[in-house]
Amino acid sequence: MTLQSNTEEIRQIEAATAPSRFARGWHCLGMTRDFGDGKPHGINAFGRKLVVFRSGDGAINILDGYCRHMGGDLTQGEVKGNEIACPFHDWRWGGDGRCKRVPYSKRAPRLARTAKWTTLEQDRMLFVWNDPEGNPPPPGVSIPLIEGAGSDEWTDWHWYTTTVNTNCREVVDNVVDMAHFFYIHGSLPTHFKNIFEGHVATQYMNSEGRPDLGGTEGARMLGTTSVASYYGPSFMIDDLTYHYEDADHQTVLINCHYPIDANSFVLQYGIIVKKSEALPDDLAVQTAIAIGDFVKMGFEQDVAIWKNKTRIDNPLLCEEDGPVYQLRRWYGQFYVDVSDVTADMVDRFEHELDTTCPRAEWMKVVEANMAGRSMAGTV
Amino acid sequence: MTVWADNRLSDCPMATVTCHCCGGDVMVRKSSWNQTSVQWNTETSVRCLERRADNAIACSTRGVFLACAALSESIVDGVRRGDVPIVDEIAEPVKNVAT
Repeated sequence: MTLQSNTEEIRQIEAATAPSRFARGWHCLGMTRDFGDGKPHGINAFGRKLVVFRSGDGAINILDGYCRHMGGDLTQGEVKGNEIACPFHDWRWGGDGRCKRVPYSKRAPRLARTAKWTTLEQDRMLFVWNDPEGNPPPPGVSIPLIEGAGSDEWTDWHWYTTTVNTNCREVVDNVVDMAHFFYIHGSLPTHFKNIFEGHVATQYMNSEGRPDLGGTEGARMLGTTSVASYYGPSFMIDDLTYHYEDADHQTVLINCHYPIDANSFVLQYGIIVKKSEALPDDLAVQTAIAIGDFVKMGFEQDVAIWKNKTRIDNPLLCEEDGPVYQLRRWYGQFYVDVSDVTADMVDRFEHELDTTCPRAEWMKVVEANMAGRSMAGTV
Repeated sequence: MTVWADNRLSDCPMATVTCHCCGGDVMVRKSSWNQTSVQWNTETSVRCLERRADNAIACSTRGVFLACAALSESIVDGVRRGDVPIVDEIAEPVKNVAT
């Protein structure tokens, strides 16, 4: 007998450090209601501190958080009229990034500007446009309107915010990761397809309930139908229907994030639920909260993995995995100058997974769990 | 920046399929009868008639075009003709190491 031959090379995990550049695109900062009260709000994003404030004219403005005079912290300042006043020497900055007034001086330095970001208020959410090249958002990359948002026929947003200490590529990878929905989230995918085109990446997923996971939302429902698209690098709209024995519950789930720095991001998710005969006002709100808590649990399961896993640029894949490399190629378009975006980053790509083999294995697990529970007398 | 390659493509690369409807070329890989990946290029996206028709009414799907039926048929034809291999049928019989 010989020792194990050395002909098969050991596969190494390759990982460059996370990019220091931040993605070009619209990023949702949260609910407008949390920023629009006329006070300055500090946000750590894109590797810096920003000040968000609604000025007297009603616009929500975003500037770099530090005053160009002597570095005062504008997030500790005060909104005066249409300007943010620095707490240090009362210098006034307008939403266009210009110094409008230095109250104790004959004239303000007119030519100097501070960094400012383009904002958008839509469907009760606040968005900021980030572009390392400093260009305004082109019209083709807008965030679609959400039909149910703001409608009386739907609940208001139930919104959740949490900070995650890893690079935000991890959350985007989930778009193609069918198997983790079973192993991490206790769901049972039966149909899984991805389409990437332009700045949009879509995931179609149908799943069945998990009768073996007693006491969870996954055990109560028959399954889900989901169409989820990232519009740009960070904002996903998921048309998500939960199927129950008595009725379908139609929901829209937002899954979005903005980077704090290369190794942390703020993850946010929001849910609205359509009211129906089966779901009048109160019940729809309760459902939104219940589903929100279920989604929250899902993200906490992701976070537990992210906390401990390593970054990997060369994942080793089997046929039943999704198109990780093609997704990352698509994602790469947001990290280069517009002039360096190549055709293969934006050209259409489709990938439909055959769920037959995974499903056979997962049904075995479900059946074994059910058998275990009935032996233990819990069914 | 290093570009990493999908190890699955070295087992079985993509094959060219021409759509019988618009004449556009795509790259196709079939893992099984029910698993297909399709790489379009810019020219084919412009040529595709179904995509163009869909774009005119795309508001309902937030602008996402699901599939071109003519292209799907062309891919099936490509498999029947033997132009597009199916990984399941050419892979080594032992797929999982017994434990």
